[in-house]
Amino acid sequence: MKFLTTSALQGGAFEMIVGTVYLFLGAAAIAGPIGILAAIYLVEYAPSGKITRVIDQAINNLAGVPSIIIGLFGYTFFSKQLGFGVSLLSGWLTLSLMVLPIVIRGSEEAIRIVPTAFKQAALGLGATKWKAISLTTLVAAAPGIVTSVILGIARVAGETAAILFTSSVLVTRGLPSSPFEPVMALSFNMYIKIVARGESPDKVFGIALILFFIVVTFSLVAIILRTYYRRKQPWLR
Amino acid sequence: MSHGEKIDIRKLNIWFGEKHVIRDLDLKIQANTVTAIMGPSGCGKSTLLRALNRMNDVIKSSKTTGDVFIGDKNIYGDNVNVYDLRRQVGMVFQKPNPLPKSIYENVAFGPKIHKTAKGKDLDKVVEKSLRAAALWDEVHDRLNDSAFDLSGGQQQRLCIARALAVDPEVILMDEPCSALDPAATAKIEQLIRVLSTEYTVVIVTHNMQQASRVSDYTVFLYLGEVIEEGDTKKIFENPQHELTEQYITGEFG
Repeated sequence: MKFLTTSALQGGAFEMIVGTVYLFLGAAAIAGPIGILAAIYLVEYAPSGKITRVIDQAINNLAGVPSIIIGLFGYTFFSKQLGFGVSLLSGWLTLSLMVLPIVIRGSEEAIRIVPTAFKQAALGLGATKWKAISLTTLVAAAPGIVTSVILGIARVAGETAAILFTSSVLVTRGLPSSPFEPVMALSFNMYIKIVARGESPDKVFGIALILFFIVVTFSLVAIILRTYYRRKQPWLR
Repeated sequence: MSHGEKIDIRKLNIWFGEKHVIRDLDLKIQANTVTAIMGPSGCGKSTLLRALNRMNDVIKSSKTTGDVFIGDKNIYGDNVNVYDLRRQVGMVFQKPNPLPKSIYENVAFGPKIHKTAKGKDLDKVVEKSLRAAALWDEVHDRLNDSAFDLSGGQQQRLCIARALAVDPEVILMDEPCSALDPAATAKIEQLIRVLSTEYTVVIVTHNMQQASRVSDYTVFLYLGEVIEEGDTKKIFENPQHELTEQYITGEFG
């Protein structure tokens, strides 16, 4: 237990755990709102035409890009081009590229399964389109949308390649005090210890276990939430 | 029976894409009466109904020409606020469609979005609307339960209460009983009769018994045109047009 709360300078994992949490929370905070708004636009507003199909396909492709490529892109674009350097901010932006397609696809799905009858009812009472969507469709889709964000987090919590050149370093003195400072992360730490410092893999099992628990917990929460609300929402049955 | 015209439809044409659904339709609907629109499937009944609160606008491929006066206002004229219109002209759908909210919140939804009542006033509006929809006695002690806990018939009366809560002048009903059992249907029909003392009710149905039970006037629609209209009794007992007679006697439908 002490391992969890001791600073890395004394051989603990505290900064890596918090750094990992910082990374995925920031990525979710960026990709969440953008992804949800994009999903609303694509389902409810986008005209069905060539451009929409291209965007649609681009989202699928983004989801399929290997994380090392995303990492390289993040390095050249966010770290170098925009000058954010090796920092928490570069990491957030890079990881959010990986969270984004998951949130968009998941939210789209959540919005699509809400019966149009709700929207119709609201429109019939004189609600504007946005009010009808925000007060009925989105409320009903909220659990599914939240689930998609959590799944997005689970996807990037253990990500290594995307933060390799953009945000992580082996050791920091305490936690980063601003988004422009580099950050420690569990996944990165394992990787560097094994690959760069040639340590034996069994030395990092402790870190691996923590990371495993974080990812599994998020996936479980997502599954439980989804099951719970499926039961509570009779129109989904 | 006549209380003057409430709705005056002039030269109404509606297309969905290439399909000409309503053709040069003229029709007057009397205030504080129940008017039934009947006809075989696909004759344009629902489209005609949805033209009266411009719900067809929602469908991208639709195109409407002509005029519809409600009171003395042309709802297809310039400077019409469709959101106000839909408050004035309430709608009850084919399948009960309560919102995924409590019973109270369902009825309060309209007044809330139009900001017409809040707090104690809103409580009063909710009670009044539920009473008017003959649902209050069944739900007054569980207003915070989910609307989905109600039976189908209760849900439909809840939807009627929800429409009444924004104080409409006209209520449109699109086959409101088609998803209900006979007992629930009887209750709704009784309610429709009561509502017509205060509201102008237009109901679409392809259940002829229903049309004859609830309506004062009947309009027989076929392929987007009015074939015959008039007193319900007259239409059923002594239809003038061959098609009407064939429809009423069940030769097609």
